[in-house]
Amino acid sequence: MHVTLTIWQALLIALWVALVESRILGFSTLTMRFSPLMTGMMVGFIMGDIKQAMIVTAAIQLVYMGFVAPGGALPAEPCIATAIAVPVALLGHMSPQGAIAIAVPVGLLGSYLYQFRFFLNTFALKPMDKYAAEGNARGLKFSIVAIPTMISFVLFIPLMFIALYFGAPVISGVVANIEHGTLIHVLNSVGGGLAALGIAVIMQVIGKKQLLPFFFLAYFMSVAFAKLQINMTIYAIFGAIFAILYVMFTSKASDKQ
Amino acid sequence: MSEENAVAANDENVATPETDEPKRIPQPDKITNKDLMKSWFGWWWTNEIPHTFDRMLAPAFCFGLIPTLQKLYKDKDELAKAFQRHLLFFNTQATWGGGTLTGVTISLEEARAKALANGEEPISEDMINNTKVGLMGPLAGIGDSIDSGTVQYIFIAIFLPFAQQGNFLGALLPFLCFAIATFTYGFYFTKMGYSLGRSAAKEIMTGGRMAGIIDGLGVLGLYMMGILAGQYIKIQSYLKFTISHKTFDIQQILNTILPGALPLVAVLALYWYFQKQGLKITRGLVYLTLALVILSSFYIL
Repeated sequence: MHVTLTIWQALLIALWVALVESRILGFSTLTMRFSPLMTGMMVGFIMGDIKQAMIVTAAIQLVYMGFVAPGGALPAEPCIATAIAVPVALLGHMSPQGAIAIAVPVGLLGSYLYQFRFFLNTFALKPMDKYAAEGNARGLKFSIVAIPTMISFVLFIPLMFIALYFGAPVISGVVANIEHGTLIHVLNSVGGGLAALGIAVIMQVIGKKQLLPFFFLAYFMSVAFAKLQINMTIYAIFGAIFAILYVMFTSKASDKQ
Repeated sequence: MSEENAVAANDENVATPETDEPKRIPQPDKITNKDLMKSWFGWWWTNEIPHTFDRMLAPAFCFGLIPTLQKLYKDKDELAKAFQRHLLFFNTQATWGGGTLTGVTISLEEARAKALANGEEPISEDMINNTKVGLMGPLAGIGDSIDSGTVQYIFIAIFLPFAQQGNFLGALLPFLCFAIATFTYGFYFTKMGYSLGRSAAKEIMTGGRMAGIIDGLGVLGLYMMGILAGQYIKIQSYLKFTISHKTFDIQQILNTILPGALPLVAVLALYWYFQKQGLKITRGLVYLTLALVILSSFYIL
């Protein structure tokens, strides 16, 4: 099976994916990222067969129904999966089920790319600290919006273009090779570990050493109860109760003095 | 009597433009509904654009607040401090968490700016930070399950039959409905947060229980950080070795001694580093990344 698109079609689809994955279109790009529907529609529009594209996309949607991203981390990237699977299905006259077989591994690879974007942002957004310290609102706005958008475009457009232009069979091969490789392992580890940084910063900012036991209390509660999958709201209620008790007891003590 | 008046008026005249205190902070502008909309839109629009590992969504939150903070802090130093405190780690859901906290934060910042301009005891930076940190987790929990877990799929489920028939409306309508619905109720949460925050701010300023409230919010904040640390940080060892036909799996051994030890070591090492060296976030970031890259390339992590 030989699959190609024209250069312009591949480029337009790549541009669409970059727009969605950069999140430049606002919070509602959430549905564009979590759900394949809008991407399927755009691909159909670009390739001139909206009807068949929508039928294939609806089948892919059923696979990704009920996907939720706690804290923004999706286990797969339906938008990227669709951008590859739908053109392949249209050109190869494949069944919707065949398209799903391509979409799933590509979606997995896509989720690493989305994580990689956070990683690049972490370093590239440094100028914003300088602008903030200067009270420079224009510089701050620029670094918060323009830099990460450029990063996404540089990351997603070439990769999607290559993937689309040179075809899906290659992609499935790449996914299979990279999935268990050291590179992905390192990226996963760095991604999983870097959250420690922000948390340590907040602990420093809250600042009161005598309150640190509450951090440890919560940490070990969450480790010990991990299997119970306790909802964040319940934890927050615990936290609020501890906070109220703390204030109650400490203010009582100072009243007696 | 007229002389007294004249003196008082004169005093005021002298006080406002110059002299008296070495530095006078100008009065903030009034926050209007339009400002709330601007800030809500700024956060909503940039929500996920500058997502990073070390601060999560904080840059977007700061972006939304920029126009409001400019109206509140006419003093360059205070403005810079405000920008900086809203660039610290912040992660919540866009509408339920972000909308509400945008409103609450603006009201607290407004109270602080006013107090600074009037030379009164202002709401402290700690107070503002602790409020955000304490509330972001629980609101995110609610928001994620409602917005992306329920509302989104309701719209998709309603219009999916269109898509199955090959109609593009099956894609366009769920997207539009979700965008309009979340934008609208998110703005409602912003306004609600603002008025709730205003009454809370008033209470804080007049009640004289400030220290207790800051401590209470600090407890809640640290508590939520502990929960997030337990759920978010994924560091485990992949190290295994065999001694005389017996395989030792380091992570399994760690699990029997102290589950969750490695993430905790990472947080405490960084905390200790910041305590010793000051809040050098970039350096902390570089060291942590290097350590993770090196250890994981050898499959120690």
